[in-house]
Amino acid sequence: MLRAQAGELAAFEELVRRHQRGLFSYLYRMCRNTSDAEELTQAAMVRAWEKLAGFRGASSFKTWLYRIGTNLCFNLRTRRKPTEELSETLTAPDAERPEAAFRQKKREEAVRAALACLPEDQRAALVLSIYQDMSYKEIAEALGKSVRAVDSLLFRAKTNVRKALAEDRAKGII
Amino acid sequence: MSNVSMNCGQVKRLLPPFLDEELLGRARDGVTSHLASCPTCRTELAALKADMGLLEQVGTPEVTPFLITRVMAEVRQQSRSVPRGFGRMVGTLTAALVVAVSIGAGVFFGSGLAQASTTVAANSTEAAVSYVESSDTTMYSLMAGGN
Repeated sequence: MLRAQAGELAAFEELVRRHQRGLFSYLYRMCRNTSDAEELTQAAMVRAWEKLAGFRGASSFKTWLYRIGTNLCFNLRTRRKPTEELSETLTAPDAERPEAAFRQKKREEAVRAALACLPEDQRAALVLSIYQDMSYKEIAEALGKSVRAVDSLLFRAKTNVRKALAEDRAKGII
Repeated sequence: MSNVSMNCGQVKRLLPPFLDEELLGRARDGVTSHLASCPTCRTELAALKADMGLLEQVGTPEVTPFLITRVMAEVRQQSRSVPRGFGRMVGTLTAALVVAVSIGAGVFFGSGLAQASTTVAANSTEAAVSYVESSDTTMYSLMAGGN
């Protein structure tokens, strides 16, 4: 980290290598579009490089980087309408059990739809908690909010997602 | 275990942070104690856990292997064009230079304009006088001619 701050490119490349997968995954779940997520990940990494000299270490590099990514993502979404990709099953389909594969696909679609319905800040908190395994403190740093606010966001997010999933269950979708 | 007593409503609100292992001390003890004696809240906790497990199953596409290449290419390009930490200094110096030049130019051209306006005024006065003189002459010659 210190070597990267001193301008050592190889050290920064190592940071990119370490965080690119997680950041891309987070941004993909936020914008639901591969090319937008790649563009945002690249922009966040480059912005981090530009601002690295001013990084004081009040938070971890990871949450600082995610904060940059979050801001870029929110800005992008206010500038243009989200363009969701066609739904695809990302887990490998089970050729021997097509019915199980079909049910899995339906479940994934239902979860994606439930996440998509959430307000942006609730979705961000939930994605960081479930998929990035961040603590409430880390989520607070990544979103620029208090831990109390994150607790409230997550409670509402989980309640809303569960409500949507319950409706899908009642309809027999999942 | 403390003697914190909670009702189902309070526990339901605390189940998400409890599941995320974010509850500490008396709050965690209170939930644990309540769950031990409340099958309804235990069922609610199991349902919450199952739904969150459902979320975890959904994957994302793999990140392109070219992403890191693209990021580093852009970073290298920036590093070549402007040394790190130098950009802000150059920006500040440029701004200061522009202000200084503007003030200098203002002072220089301001005094120049003053001189120029004095000259123009003087020339205008001379021209006006000469016009009056010539008019007088013309008028005089007309009068003379008229005579």
